[in-house]
Amino acid sequence: MNFTQEELKRLALPLLIALAMLAVGAGIVISAREGLRMAQTQFARTQAERRQNAERLARIAEEEREVSQKMDVYKQLKALNILGEEQRLEWADAINRIRVQRELLDVRYRIERQKLLSSMPGKPASVDFFASSMRVDLQLLHEEDLLRFLADLRASGNAYYAVKKCTIARTGQAVGGIAMTPRLSASCDIDLITVVDRAAKR
Amino acid sequence: MATRRLLYVTAEDHYLYRATAGGLELEARFSGDDLGVTSFREHLVARPGGLFSVVADLAGEDFHEEQIPLLRGGDREAIVQRRLAQRYRDTRLAAALSLGEAPSAERRNERLLLASFTNTQQLAPWLDALEDGGARLAGVYSLPLLAPALAARLGVKSGRALVVTATRAGLRQCYVDNGKLRFARLERTIDMVPQALAMFVRSETQRLAQYLVTLRALPREGAPVQVLVVAPPGQREVFEQALSSDARLVFHTIDYSQALQSVKLKKVPEVTRAEALFLHLAATQPPRDQFASRQDRRRYLIWQLQRGIVAAGAAGLAACVLYGGWMGLEVLTMRDRALQQQRDARAAAEQYERITAAFPVTQTSSENLKVAVVEFRRIAERSASPEPALLHLSQVLARFTQFEVDTINWSAGRIPERFAAKPPAGAASGARSEAVSDQAVVVEVSGRVNATQRTDYRGITAQVESFAAALATAGYRLVERKLPFDVTSEGTLTGDIGGTDRGGEAPRFTVVVARPLP
Repeated sequence: MNFTQEELKRLALPLLIALAMLAVGAGIVISAREGLRMAQTQFARTQAERRQNAERLARIAEEEREVSQKMDVYKQLKALNILGEEQRLEWADAINRIRVQRELLDVRYRIERQKLLSSMPGKPASVDFFASSMRVDLQLLHEEDLLRFLADLRASGNAYYAVKKCTIARTGQAVGGIAMTPRLSASCDIDLITVVDRAAKR
Repeated sequence: MATRRLLYVTAEDHYLYRATAGGLELEARFSGDDLGVTSFREHLVARPGGLFSVVADLAGEDFHEEQIPLLRGGDREAIVQRRLAQRYRDTRLAAALSLGEAPSAERRNERLLLASFTNTQQLAPWLDALEDGGARLAGVYSLPLLAPALAARLGVKSGRALVVTATRAGLRQCYVDNGKLRFARLERTIDMVPQALAMFVRSETQRLAQYLVTLRALPREGAPVQVLVVAPPGQREVFEQALSSDARLVFHTIDYSQALQSVKLKKVPEVTRAEALFLHLAATQPPRDQFASRQDRRRYLIWQLQRGIVAAGAAGLAACVLYGGWMGLEVLTMRDRALQQQRDARAAAEQYERITAAFPVTQTSSENLKVAVVEFRRIAERSASPEPALLHLSQVLARFTQFEVDTINWSAGRIPERFAAKPPAGAASGARSEAVSDQAVVVEVSGRVNATQRTDYRGITAQVESFAAALATAGYRLVERKLPFDVTSEGTLTGDIGGTDRGGEAPRFTVVVARPLP
């Protein structure tokens, strides 16, 4: 069937209407698909959240036991002032006190500036581990003096003392006279580690 | 919905009906002469672009049966047009009705019933008026073309039947065979009393039956033919008395009101007769076969195409809406499920919070508590104290009194590179194959071997190795040992045998041992 120009004009409007209806229909389908896709995404997200919460709930007994076990250590860290801001004055006092108590001949120390050792992500805030390096030089009568010094330092608290290096050498000085002559010299590098829990209640 | 108008054409007057829902309304009446045509043209001016059907109820309608080869498409159309042209001088109003395949053993033929009006000029001015008036002509029908549909509505869908009706034009008789029109005739009637009309129906029906037998359209013997007679209003009883059945014809008299119900025609003008049945069928159930040419119906076909396009668009929209609706339901279902998951997740979280609230009171969150302790333990495990190493060295020295230590270097951490990859000379192969840890406690002991001659290489070597072996116990492994001389093939070995012993310092050595940290 061949159409005249007049007939084609008559068919134009219905064609436009039909196309408009099809466009509206396509729009409906596209928006419905988009809605479905979003709903599916939301469903997947909530499903994952539910699964995670359910698994966490299932592990709660184990977690309770774990928290109880770790609580003792945490309390101990708190009691020793390892947990919290570093206490440089306390450290200086402790070294002086040890020197006097142990009658050490000569104790020299130098504490470097604090450095971040590691930052562990937690909830709701991170837990940061800091280290301040200390170089301590001692004049010893006997090697036992060094061991006592280190033991006293640990017992004084205010940090966790991680000994990195110790060198003990003979001084080679002759023993004699009234004054006590050191027979050994020791030099130690010690990291003074403190922990800052950003979520801890003050 | 476009209003459909029906022009009922008789030999005398023409009537214009308007089809309404379940009814017919008489809109105008025109005389069959030129004056009528003029009036009709004027009537059309007020209704441009109307939808029209022409229903002709005229005498002189020709029916002729033909056979053509069984073809399809354009070939069939060409043959049909040729046969119509051969049969009729004017083919403007001619139709070929298919009667189905002809039973023939030789080749497959199709039976056709060619139909037309012997005088098409009765209709031509009216069709021209419709064309000029811009009307959309749906089709030109004759009452016989509508008879099969009427017979079906009156209850005869198969077999042979005669449909007899009294219309304005006269007594219309149509012969329908298995739902196909085979023949029809119109006998003019004058006003008669019911009894006379009934007798006239009987006699004309018998005459028609006889004629059909003569044409071999009806078998001479066989089952009786059903005759459906639509009696005028209130005349059914009279007709039933007059129309007695016999071996050939079985009369079924149907009251006009009952026939109206059968075709679902609720409202008709009072003056209208049985033609109303045909007109209503032409409006509501038009047959595919009709007389108008494609050219006469072009406006109607374009109109149909317009509606078809819009309908296709609407169907597409409906399909999209349905599909979108189905997806919408899916979205709602998915959202419900997501909401349920969210509720379950919240319930689990709340239950978790309730349970953890009963945990020992902490000054921080459980998460931070765990992180702080775990990391602290890791640092503590990798730390070490010099006391165990010094104690171990002290115990070994107690067994090697000739050894004098000058310097002790103790360190904890990553193994220095100079020790990491170099196995000690003379170390056991088992020790060599041990995995070397990244973190370790390293103890470097330097000193002298007393009470041994400086030139006693074998003795010094044996003692230092023995001392080193003693140190490489209790978890320590030997990393390096240095003698005061070089006994390897790569080095230089000197000696001063028999010379004066200078009595200088004792030979020096260095032993390095390491213990891996976790």
